[in-house]
Amino acid sequence: MQSKISFLFFVSFVLAMVFSACETTIHPTLQSAAPVLVVDGWVNNKYQKQTILLSLTQPYFDDAQPVGVSGATVTVQDLTDNTLYSFIENPSVPGSYEWTPTTSIFGAVGHDFNLTLMVNGEVFIASSHMGRVPPIDSITFAQDQNFRSSGKIRYTGQFWAKDPIGVGDTYWIKATVNDTLLTLPTEINTAYDAGLSAGGEADGVVFLLPIRRGINPDRSNRTNNPSPFWPGDSVYVEINSITHAAFNYLSEVVTQTNRPGGFGQLFATPVANVSTNITNTNPKGSQVVGFFNVAAVSGRGQKFKLN
Amino acid sequence: MRHLISAFVFLSLSFCSLYSLAQQKFTINGYLKDAANGEAMIGATVYIKELNSGTTTNEYGFYSITIPAGNYVLQYNYIGYKAILQEVALDKNYRLDVELNAEATQLNEVEVVDEKDRPAAQNTSMSFNKMDVSTMKKLPTFMGEVDVIRSILLLPGVSTVGEGASGFNVRGGSVGQNLIYLDEAPVYNSSHLLGFFSVFNPDAVKDITLYKGAVPAKYGGRLASVLNVRMKEGNSKKTEVTGGIGTIFSRLAIEGPILKNKASYIIAARRSYIDVLARPFVSVLKNGGALNFYDLTFKVNYNFNDKNKIYLSSYFGRDNFLFSANQGFSWGNATGTLRWNHLFNNKLFFNQALVFSKYDYHLQFGNNSQNQFVWNSAITNYIYRPDFSYFINSNSEVNFGGEAIYYTFEPANASGTTNGVPVNVSLDKKYNLETSLYASHSLKVSPRFSIDYGLRYSNFTLYGPGTQYYYNDTVPGVRKSVVGQKTFSKGQPIQTYGNLQPRFSFKAQLNELSSIKGSYNRMVQYLHLISNTTASNPLDVWTPSTPNIKPELGDQVTMGYFRTLNTSKTQYEFSMETYYRATQNQIDYINGASLLINRYLEGDLLSGKGRAYGLEFYAQKKTGRFNGWISYTLGRTELSVNGINNNNWYPTRYNQTHNLKVVGFYEINKRWSFSSNFIYTSGTPTTFPTSRYTEQGILIPYNANNSRNNVTLPSYNRLDIAFTFQGKEYNKAGRKRKNHDYWAFSIYNLYARKNPFSIYFSQNDVQTLPGQPLVSQATQLSIIGSIVPAVSYNLKF
Repeated sequence: MQSKISFLFFVSFVLAMVFSACETTIHPTLQSAAPVLVVDGWVNNKYQKQTILLSLTQPYFDDAQPVGVSGATVTVQDLTDNTLYSFIENPSVPGSYEWTPTTSIFGAVGHDFNLTLMVNGEVFIASSHMGRVPPIDSITFAQDQNFRSSGKIRYTGQFWAKDPIGVGDTYWIKATVNDTLLTLPTEINTAYDAGLSAGGEADGVVFLLPIRRGINPDRSNRTNNPSPFWPGDSVYVEINSITHAAFNYLSEVVTQTNRPGGFGQLFATPVANVSTNITNTNPKGSQVVGFFNVAAVSGRGQKFKLN
Repeated sequence: MRHLISAFVFLSLSFCSLYSLAQQKFTINGYLKDAANGEAMIGATVYIKELNSGTTTNEYGFYSITIPAGNYVLQYNYIGYKAILQEVALDKNYRLDVELNAEATQLNEVEVVDEKDRPAAQNTSMSFNKMDVSTMKKLPTFMGEVDVIRSILLLPGVSTVGEGASGFNVRGGSVGQNLIYLDEAPVYNSSHLLGFFSVFNPDAVKDITLYKGAVPAKYGGRLASVLNVRMKEGNSKKTEVTGGIGTIFSRLAIEGPILKNKASYIIAARRSYIDVLARPFVSVLKNGGALNFYDLTFKVNYNFNDKNKIYLSSYFGRDNFLFSANQGFSWGNATGTLRWNHLFNNKLFFNQALVFSKYDYHLQFGNNSQNQFVWNSAITNYIYRPDFSYFINSNSEVNFGGEAIYYTFEPANASGTTNGVPVNVSLDKKYNLETSLYASHSLKVSPRFSIDYGLRYSNFTLYGPGTQYYYNDTVPGVRKSVVGQKTFSKGQPIQTYGNLQPRFSFKAQLNELSSIKGSYNRMVQYLHLISNTTASNPLDVWTPSTPNIKPELGDQVTMGYFRTLNTSKTQYEFSMETYYRATQNQIDYINGASLLINRYLEGDLLSGKGRAYGLEFYAQKKTGRFNGWISYTLGRTELSVNGINNNNWYPTRYNQTHNLKVVGFYEINKRWSFSSNFIYTSGTPTTFPTSRYTEQGILIPYNANNSRNNVTLPSYNRLDIAFTFQGKEYNKAGRKRKNHDYWAFSIYNLYARKNPFSIYFSQNDVQTLPGQPLVSQATQLSIIGSIVPAVSYNLKF
């Protein structure tokens, strides 16, 4: 995926040199649709408040905060040790259902979980598994040699970790740079073992270069200061273990949300709905979108200092 | 199977013999050539007035006609050339090689031979277009470059999804459903610089023919069309140098005789030179980067004697995009064709071809040996193809032959080094053999009724070594998972498919000027172009049929009305055709399919059925100072795939309801000529979201109706014009100049319309502050948003 994206980037750049594509922001009329329940259910084993957000889809051009869905019952059951986690709605944030660890953290590596939602008389379920996660050994920064010739200075960061032996571990690597979580479509960084996708035979080794480098913020839009890192920046990297379904889901999200525009549109895939692992127990009931995943997390922070 | 074919050949032969009565018959055969350069004339007519009968030359310019003894006048005709009348007292077999001279200029309007003397097209071919390179050279160009693929886009039934898209769509077929031949070698990617220019050098091309339906039994392997690009043989009379400087390419071609009337050659090269101009300004190019595309075309032929002739042609083209000495991309085609024409006797023409073709691409990232990634992908073919034509008499011709294609698919030979640790993510190569046999018979049943019937049988086998994965049946539209795998050893067949492909067409002459034609054919396609992007691109991978991917089948029925309309001075042609094609095992993709370097690709593919139908109108004024054509297609192409669009039919990405093209040429005076074309097409379908939602801080578009291609983009229209200014014919001293030169000025998109290529939906790329709502937007993209003028200078001496 990354290699394809950089290919597209480069070709688009070349074409932009040769021709002049032209883009206009427009406001087409879209088909109207009834709102659908959205589940944002990503919980983990960090010692902090865990949140499952329930909301409704909005018309595509409605740039408002999504409307929370109140009054639901949200529980997660650990199927391995039978612990029941009840998520209680935060009275000041409608639609935000929370569970805060007191004595122990949420779940344990290797356990299976079921999510049950009761919303307006309908029951929705989903399941997940907490996979293992390797520790992060270090985070390094270096000046990018490729750009030296252009006269511009560019620093990139990498994290170093080794995928454990055994095929089929999937991860979402999240980076927070100076307190900003990187969430642009180009910044979503996932791994299948140490490689980019299934069947890559990159198991039990250090994460491949594009993944290690996936912690760099996308500043390609900044003309004056495009270097991803500068001395003094700090980065916090987290490896989240995710299920295969979540891995596929995120790759679909990248495809659907990464619309670089320009000549890259020649290679764009059609708009399609991303998958969901939430199902309505009544097949004829209302639709639902979103995802439920339980992650184990390892993290490490580093401040960039020039020696 | 072989029995079936031989029985068929025997039957057709005995059928023909019914027509060969006891009367003594003789054969006239030979080659038709252009008197100026010795190029073979393809599709020229040989007409015998006394019998109201005739034949056309084949793709090597050969004809053979067998008629009863007697006195005849043979008329050799080719549009734009002076007809030759040849009296023959036929009392023995004759070999008549004829050379035709071009009409001096269209300016002196030529008297058209009395319409009764014009041979009406004798063959049953329909859904067929032919275009000479001389016509292509007159058309307005994009950035000054004469382009084969852009030219055929002006024909009925041919469309594209937009500027920059590679390939073309024929009668609602996908880009990967066209079989493109360059001198009988398949070309797997016909584009330079994505889809802006095609890989064929116009200086080396003689003409193109496009079969959109009623495909002869000789051809098979793709559902939608066969595009034959034929290269020039090279001037056999004198050495000639052609060159040109355009906005994109510099071109140079040399052709000439090696041995007078025995052997000739052509060698033609083109290279883009934008990098040469940009080098001082673009630092990447100064540091080992590259941005260029080029092609080299070469052909030589040798005439051993009257009965034997060999041709060797080859092509090599490459696009290079390197952003440093060892990082970047390149792709290209290489082909080679060795052909041997042999006349067994004056009625049996034999051609055999040995063909090599390869398309590959190469990507490389990483700036040192510790951390790098290299990816190669290729499709390689070796082909042997014997073809026989047996010219029984003026009413009957049998064609038969076969084809064996050995394919090697290399989807990904990809390896990386990460921190010094090598990682190999290569996929298995795939090996296939496709063998075919065919026979067909063209028969003039009566002066007014002709038929052409044939049969093709093809067999496709996937061989080991390799691992075949088997998948579960799941909810349609969801990724399938592997339930089993089996490893095959070298040479072990993994899967075999066989298909009979009947072909039939007829022509009923209503009167001397008009006819009705109809056809049915079945086409089979064993290889599939895997692409789910808006436009096809150079990284798309061809994949063979496997136990999980069934061969695509297409059945097409066509019906048409054809009429010529001649006045004393001009010739008009009019046709109207309808077509309906039903296809099976069409490939589509699950949402979020991963198509590159994916061992489990087959789990992401869906299979369904398709239908394409339409009506094509074509009117052409063929002669005169002012000439041109109008082409209009009304069409629809749809797919039905379980798991997509709630299992309902949906239009394909390249569906176009209306497709209108108007092309005109006008010779202003001896030095200036003008041409113009206008294009109007309906917008192509696309999918719009209805809603949005936010998950983990990411704005995700959502289509609550779960529909595919639910919206149509705004329509496309464009006007182009071109002027050609011929250099002086005489020099200052009043002597005729030895060299000939001309300037071509063209303006593409004259009224600077911003034709939409696509509309896409995205999150506004400004980082929003925590707690603030995300902003969504829609953007309309026009690939060419302005007027594009260009000039080129062309020289010939």
